[in-house]
Amino acid sequence: MLRKIGVLGVAVAALGLAACGGTNSPTAKVATSNQRGILVDNPPLRIASVNASDFAAQLGATASGPQLLQLAGTPACGVDFYYFKYWTVGPDNSAQEASGALMVPTGSAAPCTGPRPIVLYAHGTTTDSAYNIANISDTTNSANSESALIAAVFAAQGYIVVAPNYLGYDISTLGYHPYLDGAANAADMMDALTAARTALLSSFTPNTSDSGKLYVTGYSEGGYVAMATVKAMQAAGETVTASAPSSGPYALEAFGDAIFFGQVNIGSTVFSPLTSTSYQKAYGNVYSQTSDLYSSTYASGIDTLLPSATSLAGLFQSGKLPQTALFDSTTPTSSTGNTALDAQANLLLAVPASPLYTASQAALFDSGFGNPYLVSNTYRVGYVDDALINADQAEMAILNHRMLTSADVGLAATSMLGLRKDLALNDMRSGGWFPMEPMLMCGADQDPTVFFQNAQIMAALWAPYVQGGLVSVLDLNGAPQAGNPFAPLQVALQQEEAQLLAANGATAVASFHATEAPFCLVAARGFFAQVP
Amino acid sequence: MQKKIVTLAVGAALALAATGAFADQAGPNDVRLGVYLVHYDAKADDISGPYVPPGLNAHVNDVQTLYIAYVRSLSPHFDVEVAFGYPPLTKSEGRGPATVGSVPYNGQVISTVRWVAPTLLLEYVFGAPSSRLRPYVGVGVNYTKFVNRRSTPAGNAASGGPTSISLPASVGPAATAGLSYEITDRWHVYASYSVAQVNSKLEANTAGIIRTSEIHFWPNTLVISAGYSF
Repeated sequence: MLRKIGVLGVAVAALGLAACGGTNSPTAKVATSNQRGILVDNPPLRIASVNASDFAAQLGATASGPQLLQLAGTPACGVDFYYFKYWTVGPDNSAQEASGALMVPTGSAAPCTGPRPIVLYAHGTTTDSAYNIANISDTTNSANSESALIAAVFAAQGYIVVAPNYLGYDISTLGYHPYLDGAANAADMMDALTAARTALLSSFTPNTSDSGKLYVTGYSEGGYVAMATVKAMQAAGETVTASAPSSGPYALEAFGDAIFFGQVNIGSTVFSPLTSTSYQKAYGNVYSQTSDLYSSTYASGIDTLLPSATSLAGLFQSGKLPQTALFDSTTPTSSTGNTALDAQANLLLAVPASPLYTASQAALFDSGFGNPYLVSNTYRVGYVDDALINADQAEMAILNHRMLTSADVGLAATSMLGLRKDLALNDMRSGGWFPMEPMLMCGADQDPTVFFQNAQIMAALWAPYVQGGLVSVLDLNGAPQAGNPFAPLQVALQQEEAQLLAANGATAVASFHATEAPFCLVAARGFFAQVP
Repeated sequence: MQKKIVTLAVGAALALAATGAFADQAGPNDVRLGVYLVHYDAKADDISGPYVPPGLNAHVNDVQTLYIAYVRSLSPHFDVEVAFGYPPLTKSEGRGPATVGSVPYNGQVISTVRWVAPTLLLEYVFGAPSSRLRPYVGVGVNYTKFVNRRSTPAGNAASGGPTSISLPASVGPAATAGLSYEITDRWHVYASYSVAQVNSKLEANTAGIIRTSEIHFWPNTLVISAGYSF
């Protein structure tokens, strides 16, 4: 009997062992290195997978979707949306983890599989610290509409899209965003691209591969980032097939000067703290304390305000930022003792009015003046004096209504202000470079947020390349020319802006920058198709 | 697979019966072999976590498996039972929208897991020891460990990549009611119905993204078995 129990015991034990020796299915491998361009989780997470017809239906069901579909075209491909994390570097060269989106066209149609070109996309300014352009599945994420936009324009038409969220957003623990820091932005973009190429190899669609064609584009802040990326990739000896930076602040010093001269752009109260924090962190030369630059109403805590988990409306409501009042409506005066300089400065320090500006310009710029206001009067006077003494040639030409020429668009030789030095350093005119492959700068002359002068200054600087056809400029507000492939986009945008003005009056101008975005992206796609 | 298990159980019971024919006298020990018909009666919270659309849930399919138990008689009316099932391969099917994005979900087998679920029961047996038919009831404790946890290709497609699954072991109450029928002095057949409570928290890890669901099972099982006393 004992022997029988023994046999039974062994049998039961064997049964148990067989069962307990089981395994668990594996998840993604986690990178052990934090070198630049390393993909953290391999394979990355696919957040969503939609086929072409479902994507069309989903877009069609949203408020702006039908118009987007009309502009971007019916999706030819489905899109797989991947969320990937990668290692990059901060402005201080520290290893930093960041995240982004990889969008892969799917489906058996010819433009959707096999070797496909990559569009490296740089997103626009956002204050939302949780911004995640991969998150197509959550319509409450502030990146959702931009995600859908680039998916519709590029991925659903057969382009693999790589779009980093940037340092300072989503999982990044950097604590701020290196806003308009060209070198840092380019490093982020290039590292995202490297990691995304790794991610592509382990995606759900192994038949879709990188064709080797690389197109770089971006809108608004992303337009700047795209241009900075082209500059850095060329310097690193990497080929960009073509690029289309759109509505970006490329000529930063001139743009900064224009704003301080009173041409306050829409969004300036948000752009200012993003820029000053970025440059203060990178160079430490913007201020000794925030109240050097900002009025006492807002100085406290402004260096850690953005990006924020609180909505922009919430920040305005809680008095953390003024909605539009960048400068004091009781304008300060210059008192350098140099009569001519002070007279010129005081003209520029005054609230914009005729005859310096047209009535519509004045109406737009004047909304940038109020009380409480963001920038301290002392700082503004110092900036304006410096910008007159150490003039940006392009801004002076514009101010004096001169034609911009390549000989007349140089940066200021020097500056007394840290912020202006930083703007000059990050200005795309610096570094004596030009695009070696085709570039289209799309924008619109009526843009109240990022002035079109940014593209015009770069085009003037690169006049020989514009004449040679390497660099093109598209003004969506320009007169449509017969035979111009972008004329239909100009007509369509101008019709839409006219409708907005008719419906909402002059205040509709505030939305023009955002309105242009899909038109510029479709123009970029058309441009890329011409540079196969 | 399930047919095989039933065949195996019946075959093993017959084999034991054959050896028992030559044994001497019955003792306080009883081994039982049979078939477990398990209905999981699982209720799970909708899967929650990053990038999960609302309304995703799962259903756990019923299984049959091999039942094996050792029963020790403590007194004419009290038995202690340790019951095992051969760890059944249990399949979970997606419940919710037909597709997540364009990925099929509802009705797809999204994961499989094996259960090692020993149950210890104290049973009260009614009737005189000499009765051929004796009902019994019992209460006890169930320990459930989940092994061989796998996300299927369909599960990986819905989750967005290769997915590992964590399901911590559970300890919960169990109860049973059954009937024993004496064929010979040593041989009995049994039919019983048991329930147990199993609680666990599913954690699915896809590329470092964790999705969770609290799962409550009330596995109710019908057991048909043959036992040999020695």
